[in-house]
Amino acid sequence: MGFNVQGRFRRLFMLLGISTLSLPGLAADSFATEGFDRLQVPTLVSQRATQSLLLDIDTAGERLVAVGEQGVVLLSDDQGERWRQGAVPVSVLLTAVHFVDAQQGWAVGHDGTVLHSADGGASWSLQLDGNELNTLRVKQLEAELEALRLDAEAAPMVLEALEYALEDARFTQEEGPHMPLLDVWFADSQHGFVLGAYGQLLRTLDGGRSWQTLGHQLPNPDRFHLNSLLATRSGDLYIAGEAGLLLRSRDAGRTWAALESPYDGSFFAMAELDGLYLMGLRGNLFHSPDGEHWQALELDSSATLNNALAVGKTLLLLGQGGLLQAGNRAGFAPLQQPRSRQSLSAAAVAGARLIVVGEGGIQRKDMPQEGAQ
Amino acid sequence: MKRLTLSILGLVKGSEQLIERLMFHRRRTLLALFALITLLLGWQASQIRPDASFVKMIPTEHPYVENYLNYRDDLAGLGNSVRVVVAATDGDIFTASFQETLRKVTDELFFLPGVDRSALASIWTPNVRWTEVTEEGFVGGPVIPDDYDGSPAALENLRTNILRSGQVGRLVANDFGSAIVQVPLFDRDPESGAALDYQQLSHLLETLVRQPYESDAVRIHITGFAKVVGDLIDGARDVALFFAVAFGVTLVLLYLYSGSLSGTLIPLGCSLVAVVWQLGLLRLLGYGLDPYSMLVPFLVFAIAVSHGVQVVNTVAQEAAQGADNVLAARRAFRALYIPGLTALLSDGLGFVTLMVIQIQVIQDLAIAASIGVAVIILTNLLLLPLLMSWCGVGARAIARAKRATASTRSAWALLTVFARPRGATVALLVAAGMALAGLQLSTGLKIGDLDSGAPELRKDSRYNLDNAFVTENYSTSSDVFVVMVTTAPEQCSSFATLERVDRLQHYLTNVPGVQSSLSLADVSERVTAGLNEGSLKWRSVSRNQFVINASLAYVPGGLMNTDCSLLPLIMFLDDHKAETLSRVTASVKAFAARHDSDAIQFRLAAGNSGIEAATNEVIGTAQYKMLLMVYGVVSLLCLLTFRSLRTVICIILPLALTSLLCQALMATLGIGVKVATLPVIALGVGIGVDYGIYIYTKLNSFLLQGQSLPDAYLATLRTTGKSVAFTGLTLAIGVVLWVFSPIKFQADMGILLTFMFLWNMLGALILLPALTCVLYRHSGARVRQKETSDLLS
Repeated sequence: MGFNVQGRFRRLFMLLGISTLSLPGLAADSFATEGFDRLQVPTLVSQRATQSLLLDIDTAGERLVAVGEQGVVLLSDDQGERWRQGAVPVSVLLTAVHFVDAQQGWAVGHDGTVLHSADGGASWSLQLDGNELNTLRVKQLEAELEALRLDAEAAPMVLEALEYALEDARFTQEEGPHMPLLDVWFADSQHGFVLGAYGQLLRTLDGGRSWQTLGHQLPNPDRFHLNSLLATRSGDLYIAGEAGLLLRSRDAGRTWAALESPYDGSFFAMAELDGLYLMGLRGNLFHSPDGEHWQALELDSSATLNNALAVGKTLLLLGQGGLLQAGNRAGFAPLQQPRSRQSLSAAAVAGARLIVVGEGGIQRKDMPQEGAQ
Repeated sequence: MKRLTLSILGLVKGSEQLIERLMFHRRRTLLALFALITLLLGWQASQIRPDASFVKMIPTEHPYVENYLNYRDDLAGLGNSVRVVVAATDGDIFTASFQETLRKVTDELFFLPGVDRSALASIWTPNVRWTEVTEEGFVGGPVIPDDYDGSPAALENLRTNILRSGQVGRLVANDFGSAIVQVPLFDRDPESGAALDYQQLSHLLETLVRQPYESDAVRIHITGFAKVVGDLIDGARDVALFFAVAFGVTLVLLYLYSGSLSGTLIPLGCSLVAVVWQLGLLRLLGYGLDPYSMLVPFLVFAIAVSHGVQVVNTVAQEAAQGADNVLAARRAFRALYIPGLTALLSDGLGFVTLMVIQIQVIQDLAIAASIGVAVIILTNLLLLPLLMSWCGVGARAIARAKRATASTRSAWALLTVFARPRGATVALLVAAGMALAGLQLSTGLKIGDLDSGAPELRKDSRYNLDNAFVTENYSTSSDVFVVMVTTAPEQCSSFATLERVDRLQHYLTNVPGVQSSLSLADVSERVTAGLNEGSLKWRSVSRNQFVINASLAYVPGGLMNTDCSLLPLIMFLDDHKAETLSRVTASVKAFAARHDSDAIQFRLAAGNSGIEAATNEVIGTAQYKMLLMVYGVVSLLCLLTFRSLRTVICIILPLALTSLLCQALMATLGIGVKVATLPVIALGVGIGVDYGIYIYTKLNSFLLQGQSLPDAYLATLRTTGKSVAFTGLTLAIGVVLWVFSPIKFQADMGILLTFMFLWNMLGALILLPALTCVLYRHSGARVRQKETSDLLS
């Protein structure tokens, strides 16, 4: 008998023990939402968020904003010393972030997620997700097809292409919101683009309240992934993509033309310094003064280049296996020997420091010496 | 109640008379019977085998372990493997001679019995490959180039392949100074069905791998559960040596103490017989000797000797008063039968309380020790007086006993100060102070194992040094905690499952103590990125089931079962401290509470740390249950024997102080409450009560003769004090040698038992008279007279 009582106490203690144990991160509301889908679950506040997989970083005024796995958005107001998390309503992998000023910014990610912040990244709202995106695409294509069918002068090939695109869009809608967005760029607080897998390109003219799909209008019949968008100082827009895809728009994105590509492999990023740089798979790096005539640059590494950042007169290259090189078209040299082989994805300048993000989360590095190359 | 006690006492008294008559009238028959049984059981004992089964060391009825055992076959690829590290002492692995050694070691391991050859992995096995994304898609090949010839170019090629293979930190050290051969084992031979012989495997690893290939240029480090078990069994062999030493030391001390050859050899012989019987009976009952129950023969021997000393001592005193050999033996039997039986019963019942702990090694230990104690009743309470009735103790011992009784000056007189009010008060105040200090210190007492590596072995053991080498140079921890995620068949790789597992993994990174985690979701994420030209932006579980399926076309072993209804989530922890483990289990439980459904369940727990979490939970609750029971049983026995609550307090309080101080000692020395140390308290209390019982019985008999407490106590000490002190010494000698055991938990048990045996002795010699003095001060001699006369009525 006595031991039964003992047993009851034990259970009581266990209950107490568990209820008084602090469970960091298991904020009660984290899992309280009805659905468990990652498009509906807010991001977890994690003490180790700075070690998450982080894919992009940008500056919002003085503030640094980095985005990555599980909907993590990190903010720093002291040049990367301390970080805190922004409140994000989803838990998807975020792939890119872009701020037009200290307040207005957008982030995109998997499952067709587009997030908007009006307070410098502290809080985010979902402007678009893959479900809405799929519906919007189907509706827009239906409307365009409707209009085209009424147009007696419409070329049968154009009609056929549009019918095909609609069929494709409907099929995608059935598959669900599985297509990731891979880059975002806004000209100002109203005009911007998001782009991503399978040739997705969308434009907004009203700060993200409404979107217009452009993917089917691109010279991209195989629906290759659109990996990166660059706006040059001259006002041109470039899109670099899968399998050597290179597109340019000279009218703020209304129409796009394919450029002759110097390479069949995928491009992951573009940058502008003394001319344009285009880079991608296996260390392939090209330079062009005008976007039309490309010249291959030698690199002493065959690691894939993920991104680049122009800092003053130096271009920083970031890549797989910890690649971090600095230089210009005259030549590049490793900024430092990679200590770990964790891949790097993006970088931003913070005062005298360089903040690099990638597989291992946030790393702070010394800036390269100006004009060292 | 009173009638019951009386009838029990009557029964015991009756049995005493009956046995005495039987024994001393049929001496030869009895002796022949003892000899015959000893021969039979000795033959059995000689066949007892070492035995260390993993399942016996874990709480099989705990839900975590039940889950683990349910899915054990599916988890097989995970758990049981040995890692052999081949390390270059100077420079790195990129030399032709090092690679040659590594190749030979890989080949050698391939042919060891019990090895799952298809899953054996090193950079020299064809299943370890590199892949790379090119414009055309994936290209890849074995890490060792097909045209490898040991040339500098080939070695450079090898270096590139290793970098591309992603094996740095897994099969190749982060600093390229060593390489691992991963050797998965079959628990049971797939052909013959025979269980893996850990000891043999461990020896083969030493003789076929470590010894031949270790040189000035190459070091071999071996880790893994099989090696731990092998080392444990080997370490346990040292125990035989300890036994020989303990036997020798006891022999010398006993001779110095008794001054009689027969008074030395006969108790020792009888104690040895007790050990032989105990081992023989264990073997008859189908038990083997595991590293825990291996210590029971020591305890049995020590307890037996301590009782033997009492018998020899009493025989000498009776002989000193003029009795002949037979009469002295008979009187000694009569005087010691009841206290001896009570003491041994309390020992035995103390051990039996260990049965409440649902871990088989502890239960086996309880059985082995209980058998041992039962055997001592026969060998040292019956056989010993029987033998003494022939041999006597010898003239020298009788003369000594006479001198001791006659002498008026005695060092024991110093101790009687504790039987006087002032001394008693001081002693009790000091004890109270110690109790407070002990209480304070024991708050730091931890559950579970506290050291890193294999806690069964010493920190500086070869195994733990090897293990430290691996944790230092590779990106994996040896503390593995596995959550078993179960779904309907074919659903383990569905998006809904993987998404949730992915979320749990992310959530777990936020739990302090979790270093990293690995599951099918990681594989899917990484391969999805790989299928998209290695782009990090694709490192996510795809919502498209076709993409998921493509990403899981090739899954490394152990991350899902064959019908895809189980997906283990493997966590690597910083350590296996109890707080870390309970934090992890609480976090997973909280997550499971929200996410468990018909479609998906998150079940605790496998992996060495998962099992340890279960063990900790069992021990944490069993600790108090066991303390309550052992004190309950011992108190009840004392109450039945002495029929006075105050007497029970006088005997039990000193024991309780020792238990408390023992906990304080554990906290101070960083010894956690674990499978090995939990039995110590039951053993310490069970055996410690002997002193109290012997002393109180004597004390009572002198009080009954009308002596004052200090006088009665002095008389007690003169007759029995020496043998009590000697008992403490022999018990301590029996266990103190364990401190030198290569097995860490045996050393811990040695320290704690030695401490408990000695402190219990001091408690009985100092606190028992002090408590008696204080508790009986106001009651006066009349009451005392009444109580004591009650006892003997």
